[in-house]
Amino acid sequence: MSQEYESVDLVGDETVKQFTGAVLIAALTAVLAQLSIPLPGGLPPFSLQPFGMFFAGLLLGPLWGGFAWALYILVGIAGVPVFSNGNAGLGYVLVGQGTGGFLVGFFAGAVVSGAIVHRGLQPRSLASLSVPMQAAGCVAAVAVVYAIGVPWLGSVLGLPLTRAASIMAPYLPLDLVKLAVAVGIVGGGSLATR
Amino acid sequence: MITARNVTYSYDDVVLDDVSLSIPAGEFCLLVGPNGSGKTTLVRQFNGLLTPDNGTVTVDGSDVADDPVATRTSVGMVFQHPRDQFVAATVGADVAFGPENLGLDRDDIDRRVTEALAAVDLDGREDERLDELSGGEQARVAIAGALAMEPSYLVLDEPLVGLDWPARESVLTQLDRLHTEGTALVVVTHDLRDLYERADRIVGLRDGQVVLDDDPATALDAVADLGVRDPRC
Amino acid sequence: MLSYRPGETFVHRLDPRSKLLVQFGLAIAVFSRPTVPVTAAATLLTLGMLAAARLSPLAVIRAYWVVVAVLALGPVIAGVALGPPWFRFEPALRSARAVVRIVPLLFVSAAYLTTTPVRETRAAVQRLIPGKAGQLFGVGMALVIRLFPVLYQDISEVRDAIRARGGERRPFYVRARLLAVRSLERTMDRSDRLGMALRARCFAWNPTLPPLAFERRDYPVLVLGAVLTLSPLTLLL
Repeated sequence: MSQEYESVDLVGDETVKQFTGAVLIAALTAVLAQLSIPLPGGLPPFSLQPFGMFFAGLLLGPLWGGFAWALYILVGIAGVPVFSNGNAGLGYVLVGQGTGGFLVGFFAGAVVSGAIVHRGLQPRSLASLSVPMQAAGCVAAVAVVYAIGVPWLGSVLGLPLTRAASIMAPYLPLDLVKLAVAVGIVGGGSLATR
Repeated sequence: MITARNVTYSYDDVVLDDVSLSIPAGEFCLLVGPNGSGKTTLVRQFNGLLTPDNGTVTVDGSDVADDPVATRTSVGMVFQHPRDQFVAATVGADVAFGPENLGLDRDDIDRRVTEALAAVDLDGREDERLDELSGGEQARVAIAGALAMEPSYLVLDEPLVGLDWPARESVLTQLDRLHTEGTALVVVTHDLRDLYERADRIVGLRDGQVVLDDDPATALDAVADLGVRDPRC
Repeated sequence: MLSYRPGETFVHRLDPRSKLLVQFGLAIAVFSRPTVPVTAAATLLTLGMLAAARLSPLAVIRAYWVVVAVLALGPVIAGVALGPPWFRFEPALRSARAVVRIVPLLFVSAAYLTTTPVRETRAAVQRLIPGKAGQLFGVGMALVIRLFPVLYQDISEVRDAIRARGGERRPFYVRARLLAVRSLERTMDRSDRLGMALRARCFAWNPTLPPLAFERRDYPVLVLGAVLTLSPLTLLL
């Protein structure tokens, strides 16, 4: 065998594993952002994008979950139509809210829920995580999303905080439904593959 | 020469049970066996993607664990589903991925990409999007991605599955050419049609053990026991 | 939707790092100083950029129409009052001033993404973020771009399968659960195979980086970007 590539520094197997998981969650988030289930009665459409945040935090932990969301946002800034309704660009990230929502908040939410659920930078096996802890992590994530998203919306639209909050209020119950579904999938053993 | 000595490995329900096997340089070898017999698991030991629980694997005399970079450049691997092994959106960027990881000069990388694509009859198609290629073309890009590492041995896992007739013919033509040029080929398959006439040797695996190792003419009489149809019938 | 269009304009030929710096600098400048002269100057500047990139401002507005519509609602929502006089102009005006700041930002990001191939942004990211993180972000971007259409197809198949079996009649949260769990399973199935493919091709921390070089034309643009980025400092004076 030749010895001509001595300087090559291979990425370690464990890092490759976490990296590919994060890449796939980022790509999944891009797809979920394009899907929504219409709801009756003038309710906002049920966007599947927040599942990207819940899965990132629950499955990948704070470091790789945050990496997945940073990657997703970067790909959008680069011009790939990965945000809701096929949007892209830095301008869209800064606006923070079309029907697209709270991209920076989702990134922070993934990190926070990952940190609470996994209590360390590297993810632990799902079997060792209690469902109440997963639920607590996701509730904190939703709180972070709104804590960042509502003032951001207020600042972009030049609205007082209370009025920005009243615009976002109808979304909160939907996000809590998504939270319950996500924890049910991950914590309830619905995932046959893991 | 790729040499596996007394390799055992277990993962889920797939096992390798004391497998010893040598693939000489330049040989065209077919690896057959029923699903779950350990074919894919065995070939992944050849370039250190999996590490044996016991036993050793050497390539040209060096243990694969000692220098993974040398092993993986020497033993190229083409996986079953081309779609799952592409790392870029365009043909050229994907084929360049391996050489880039080796830290080669840009000129050297460009030369390797050009040559690898020429070797699979996809000259000048660098800028095309992988999703817009046919199944056969995708299979050939996957082969080019491995060839860009300039391997001495090429392992192909079910390279003909899911290809229509013209695509099959074109992949087979590339295999003939590589074999003629001296690259050893290890083809994992459960279907010997169009392959057995080309091979130097057929190795059969069942339940993680080598149960057949013979020249094609003789081996064909025994393949029915391995869940593989005798292609002459 | 806006996407990269090949071209030979001045903006096309700039290094992506120069364009990224201007883009971020403009966002910082506009948000740090929400005054009418700053917003007006930024809008004029970005109109100039659009002209240099041969892109019509109307096309940008059309592409971002959902965003623009939501933004346009801002002053209306701000002005509505629950008692007489029912609509107040002062908060509406304050909202309008905030909302128009977004226009130059949409312009500049549209100019960026129509003139910059995604692989150039990837190359810029790989060079701008130092060390191992930069390598993971660079390769990761290429992989997400590659996998996005693949997963889209996967998940459309999942959705069609749910529909084909009468899933439309189930409550929305059951449909969401079915779609999410099957999508996640199909996605994670690909993870191990992708990892094998990367390792087989010697995925390394120190590869040859994609080619990228500043030219003479980049220097004034870099200076502009730096001035914009540092402009909030003048508030301290």
